[in-house]
Amino acid sequence: MKLSTKPFSHLLLTLFCLSYFSYGQSAYAQAESKKNDFLQLEIIDTFVEVHTGPGRGYPVFYVIEQGEKVDVLKQRAGWYEIRSQNGRTGWTTAAQLSRTLQTTGEPADLPSVSYGDYLKNKWRVGFTTGVITSGELDGSDLFSATLSYRFLSWLSLEGEAGKIFDSGRESEFYNANILIEPFSQWRVSPELIIGTGELESEPQPKLTSGVTNGEFVNYGIALNYYIGRRFLIRGEFRQYDVDSDDNELKLDSWTIGFNTFF
Amino acid sequence: MDNRLQYILLIVRNLSFIFALLFSTLSSPVFAQNKVRGEIIDFGVNIGMIAIEDFPTSEALGANLTFRATEDFFLQLNVMQASSVELSSFEKQPGQGKLFDDRNFLHYDVLIGYNIFQGEFFTGEKTANLSALYAVAGVGETEFGQESRIATTIGLGYQVAFNRRYILRLDFRDYISRRNINQGDDDALTHNFHFSAGFSYLF
Repeated sequence: MKLSTKPFSHLLLTLFCLSYFSYGQSAYAQAESKKNDFLQLEIIDTFVEVHTGPGRGYPVFYVIEQGEKVDVLKQRAGWYEIRSQNGRTGWTTAAQLSRTLQTTGEPADLPSVSYGDYLKNKWRVGFTTGVITSGELDGSDLFSATLSYRFLSWLSLEGEAGKIFDSGRESEFYNANILIEPFSQWRVSPELIIGTGELESEPQPKLTSGVTNGEFVNYGIALNYYIGRRFLIRGEFRQYDVDSDDNELKLDSWTIGFNTFF
Repeated sequence: MDNRLQYILLIVRNLSFIFALLFSTLSSPVFAQNKVRGEIIDFGVNIGMIAIEDFPTSEALGANLTFRATEDFFLQLNVMQASSVELSSFEKQPGQGKLFDDRNFLHYDVLIGYNIFQGEFFTGEKTANLSALYAVAGVGETEFGQESRIATTIGLGYQVAFNRRYILRLDFRDYISRRNINQGDDDALTHNFHFSAGFSYLF
């Protein structure tokens, strides 16, 4: 029993640390927000157009001149909501707002316009769909949902859950992948996928029992196409080596995926 | 018994470390410095009707999570369920009886959406609410009549943001999937129309 108290004390310690950090964070945030509610920027473009909504089609109803200061209120995909000194509130593109100065005189460092490593420390969520082109499940449809986190500019970890359907069988798979993307600054950039997981298939319709389980390793290559800063379309080719109860299975898959970052 | 307890505590400890790690990455300086709040994700619930092919129309409840990727595109996760699908006319025939007992229709999918017509909806002389007509397409799974089948979803929807964070959505979707309910030789391609109205909250 002496041993089992050790993990428990670890847990308490972790909880304590968590509560301490969260308290510290919120107290800091509160103090900050009292001092200055919003990020203030100075316009250095000749003028900035202010739209009524966060989209290119919304009409321009106001123009802010060079040298004026604006408060940045909210961020939406590709757009920022700003407030001028005389209280007019509207939307401007992230591109225009990137050419502004902070009150300290430094260039604005906004999450969606800063240059360099904007993908690092980001979550990516998305889905893929495609077909299996070899092996026992040739011609089957496949889809999966993915969630990944990018630790370094070139390295992310991904969790994936998906399904494979053919007329006689339904398979579920879960896997964890390592994604290596050395040239993530490119608009079109290749990515390597290495992972391992588990495949579980059962006959359709579910009238008879008989589930087959198998572990697999998968590896593949993807081509990422970044549209703007937050949207990614990817094409993928993968190979799965499944080691199931009764036989070994090799599957090839071709998929297309859509992803966004947050 | 003692071993089992140790094992559970060990799992709890490891999980708590993982959460601590996740938490520390989420509250990293990158986020702390950022005073500008992003409005990226919304969560919504909806109520509607689904016309399952060959079956009577049923009430359906659903939920969705939407990620705004660009001003034009968004990704959406959906789940919907109609819990008591009534008998089809085939099943109502004298002497026929139910084809299956589990009368639950469950569908989930992942969609990509495109805002075709973005605009404003005017509720008064001085208030304009952001609106959009959008199209969606994607893949998912439909579980019905002891079968789980891949489904293709296409649809059209309209949204209006009231009070900025509250979004009203009207959606029309077609869940296309193969089905073989009476265990015949051939699969039939079915269209299942879902019409829903929902509310979402933008975080």
